[in-house]
Amino acid sequence: MSVLTIQGLRVAVAGREVVQGFDLTMRSGEVHVIMGPNGSGKSTLALALAGHPGYQVVGGTAEIDGVSLLDQSPTGRVRTGLFLALQQPLEVPGVLLRDVLRAAGADGEDLAARIQDEAKRVDLRPALVERFLNVDLSGGERKRAEVVQFGVLRPAFGLFDEVDSGLDVDSLGAVARRLAAATHEWHCGVLVITHFQRLLQELTPTTIHVMRAGRIVAHGGPELAATLEREGYEPFATASE
Amino acid sequence: MASFRDTALHFVRTRPDASQRGASFQRFLDTGLPSASEEVWRYAPLEDLDLDGFALATEPRAEALGPVAAALAPLASRTIHLVDGFVVDEGRPTEGVDVVVDAVDPEGALEAYASDAFALLNNALTPGVVTVTVRAGVALEAPIVIAAGAGSAASFPRVRVVLERGARAVLVEVYEGGSGSLVDVVGEYEVGPDAHLALVAYQRLDHRSWHVARTSARLASDARLSHAVVGLGARYDRSRNDATLEGRGAENVLRTTFFGAGDQVHDFRTRQFHVAAHTRSTLLSKGAVADQSRSIYTGLIEIEHGARKTDARQTNHNLLLSPSAHADSVPNLEIRENDVVCAHASSVGPLDELQLWYLESRGVPRPEAQRLMIRGFFLEMLDALPRVVADLLTADVDASLGALEVVA
Repeated sequence: MSVLTIQGLRVAVAGREVVQGFDLTMRSGEVHVIMGPNGSGKSTLALALAGHPGYQVVGGTAEIDGVSLLDQSPTGRVRTGLFLALQQPLEVPGVLLRDVLRAAGADGEDLAARIQDEAKRVDLRPALVERFLNVDLSGGERKRAEVVQFGVLRPAFGLFDEVDSGLDVDSLGAVARRLAAATHEWHCGVLVITHFQRLLQELTPTTIHVMRAGRIVAHGGPELAATLEREGYEPFATASE
Repeated sequence: MASFRDTALHFVRTRPDASQRGASFQRFLDTGLPSASEEVWRYAPLEDLDLDGFALATEPRAEALGPVAAALAPLASRTIHLVDGFVVDEGRPTEGVDVVVDAVDPEGALEAYASDAFALLNNALTPGVVTVTVRAGVALEAPIVIAAGAGSAASFPRVRVVLERGARAVLVEVYEGGSGSLVDVVGEYEVGPDAHLALVAYQRLDHRSWHVARTSARLASDARLSHAVVGLGARYDRSRNDATLEGRGAENVLRTTFFGAGDQVHDFRTRQFHVAAHTRSTLLSKGAVADQSRSIYTGLIEIEHGARKTDARQTNHNLLLSPSAHADSVPNLEIRENDVVCAHASSVGPLDELQLWYLESRGVPRPEAQRLMIRGFFLEMLDALPRVVADLLTADVDASLGALEVVA
């Protein structure tokens, strides 16, 4: 059993503070969802946690079982247990997914088979994971390739930034089921950032958090998603707005 | 100790073609080594080159094949073993292939290299021209390997390859070994009508050696030369590769790949000369420089009046792996015909920081991420090597990259 604890996290982008005191605690096997309007700081939060060089943490802490993530290199953070599936995965020409995963520590003779198996689970054509990393993949294919990486690496916590955008209904279901299964298979803690309730039809959240202007302004159970879908984010205006 | 000049003169006088050699050597003495004030030698550390510091290789020496050549030999139809430019083993006879050691062409050589000091030295001091002829219509399955080992002396290997009409061959030249040596190479390639030559020049001499190579290719109608030049070794690695497309429909593909570390200098020059109509040339140069190393790529596409429908492309990409490394890229076009397609592109820059971060955020340690990306950068060059040698040479390049340090 692991615990991911984020406290008072503040992140600046190009000198402007976008995340202004973010708090979240989640445990292995739980599913947490962050919802919020565009510009509320969700992706900034995700990229800062993964150590993106363009995002500066200016305050707060993020730990897994008391081990600080923020002092570590991007490599150290994911190896400690927090994996980020990007909203816009990058192309890396000349570099094979297989070689990346092996270098990331996913060794073993069955690596190729595991990659294929994970691809199948999210309806990704096997040929696509034999290519150079994300090269010539559509937006939706890239999202699923991120989930393949996640499935092979099996991190303690997976953070999925709009993994559902660009996916058709069938793929969306496959991805949701893959994430849900991870909470059982290795008791993974799943944290998803999304705009849509649809992903949550097959991935039942433990907690939904509403993010506005860089911090959590409300949380609740699965029923909160329906409320948001009906009423939007307006009722959750922050004091500063 | 006798000066290089005296040893060289003595060597020249004892050869049967002393007068031809003497003429080239005299021409060399008249002008001497070039200096860095000459544009084409601008980046060469010639002030550090003292011929008197080298013994002259004057006779064959017993030496085993170098590691790369030894690994290639089992794949080869024939391995011609040179030590310091002397043939020590012609390899087993191959149907349709003639190997002889000739004198330097008495007519053409002085003329062709009149203003190239290193080629003049080779004219005078080469043990002989290793001439490989693939007879008309012969298609060789396995490659011919020319395994050129070097010691500590100044040596002057010289190779001439002739593919007669319709012949097909893969030829791999490997330059390895060396211990502060000077390896001064001249290569000449004649690709006959409808003949196809896949040529690889793989240079991995020790990092104290000087490697100065000049190759010239002549392509007849519908001839094809696919030429890969890989430079990993030498302190100063000069590689000038010229091709003249003389026959209609001739095609030259030249890929030059280099990797510099320490204080190495890779100095690549190319000239694609389109004389005939409907000829094509594609040049792709990709190099990486680490530490304090530097690279120069100067490419000239020249299109003669009347060479209509010529298609000539030149691309040069350079990877900078340290702030002290330096890469120059100088593409030149000289076009005397209107009805042509000609394009060039070049870039110089470090590894992409966001791609690096992306790999790190998957759990790949930074040095490993850098190596993966550098390998990826070179992959299209290595993938284009003739199939039969690609895996082996790729593994050897990988081993060189393994020792690499990237400084952001």
